[in-house]
Amino acid sequence: MGKPKAKVDKKKCLACGGCISVCPHDAISWIGNKAFVDDEKCISCAICIRICPVGAISGDGGF
Amino acid sequence: MKYDVVVVGSGPAGSVTARFAAENGAKVLMIERRQEIGTPVLCGEGVSRKIDDWDMLEGDRWIAGRMDGARIYSPDQTCVTLSADQAGNETGYVVYRDIFDRELARRAVKAGVTIMMNAQATGLLKEKGKIKGITVNHFDEELEVKADIVVGADGVESKIGYWGGIDTTLKPKDLETCAQYTLTGIDCKDAYCDFYLGRKIAPGGYIWVFPKGKDSANVGIGILASLSEAGMARKLLDDFIKKDLRFKNAEPVRFLAGAVPVAMPIETVRDNLILVGDAARHVDPITGGGLTHCLEAGKIAGEVIGKAVKTKNFSQDFLMEYETRWKETVGRKIKRNYMVKEILLGMEDKTFNMLADSLKEYNFEELSTLGLIKALVTKHPTLLMKLKPLLKVSKEERKDK
Repeated sequence: MGKPKAKVDKKKCLACGGCISVCPHDAISWIGNKAFVDDEKCISCAICIRICPVGAISGDGGF
Repeated sequence: MKYDVVVVGSGPAGSVTARFAAENGAKVLMIERRQEIGTPVLCGEGVSRKIDDWDMLEGDRWIAGRMDGARIYSPDQTCVTLSADQAGNETGYVVYRDIFDRELARRAVKAGVTIMMNAQATGLLKEKGKIKGITVNHFDEELEVKADIVVGADGVESKIGYWGGIDTTLKPKDLETCAQYTLTGIDCKDAYCDFYLGRKIAPGGYIWVFPKGKDSANVGIGILASLSEAGMARKLLDDFIKKDLRFKNAEPVRFLAGAVPVAMPIETVRDNLILVGDAARHVDPITGGGLTHCLEAGKIAGEVIGKAVKTKNFSQDFLMEYETRWKETVGRKIKRNYMVKEILLGMEDKTFNMLADSLKEYNFEELSTLGLIKALVTKHPTLLMKLKPLLKVSKEERKDK
């Protein structure tokens, strides 16, 4: 099993774009005006998880 | 579809750039990923009355309240007051950003700009390495929009710059992560914008209370992303509201999250490409405010784009006039205030308390961050050493005026 990937809870995401702006691997984009993490690109750095103002991002399976 | 210019994003920077490009003869398309311009609002909605100098907004429907001053509270609640009376000049407005943004978009349309809603930019169109436009997802349909110039006005999360080869990734220490309630059922005693500082209140940022009329206010928080943990901004804001008796009977009518770049100026021009607004990091790193910068830089961008279209020269060298001009004005202030931000971040709560105590009776000459910095330097010459590099910057600034 690989490292856990960041996962956005679409119900909690308020679409501020902060996670997209700090992602060092361009792994996050808008899908349907909510942040969406591309598993292929995510390097499990957890920066997006820590900076989310409403706690909408978590480690898939826990960091 | 072929345009001279495609502007990605219809916030203030996008609309102003689009408007001035069109007024200078360009055929402009502006796209917006959302279904409504101006909504959801992602902003504290405070703006300096300098906005009037640009004369870009008609009427006053966009104004929620005219402010008489600001109060800054240090961690031990010492209050520094900057009042309009005292300084003999005007302070600012609390605005309705949704109306504000649509008013700027209306002016763009008046100038001849075409708008496409529900349109998400998905990539740059390139031929032999040259940018030829963008690909767009419009109501789930993939379209190609050809344009000689692509303007990235796509916000803090900008992809246009990244796709065009500009490193726009923000370090967490250069981002404020924010949350805000609009509360109603409160008693706004006066028209003052209040700011609350402290490591425990808002690490690396501040909490704001901006009155919107007599019984409502925007109550928000920005914390430095490098000091944040998951969900921390919202939690600290909830704690603050719970403890403050003013909000005992308050109820929220709106909740939003936000992200504000507080970074040094970046590169904003490539062949066939320009960045404006939050995408270009046109934000004051101390206050997190960017609206007046968007108007100033957007107008310059529009003018330079107009010239480029007329001469059919879309090279980085030609478009560089835009970057040179905004860096001389907006950029200089951002650079100076970034250095102040770095100094402030190194200060402890007790230092803020001491500084606030020394300024609590101070008569400010100028109601701005620069006015505050000048007061600090006057009161605390020892700070002068640390502030020296940025005073040099502000001297240059004065020389220009």
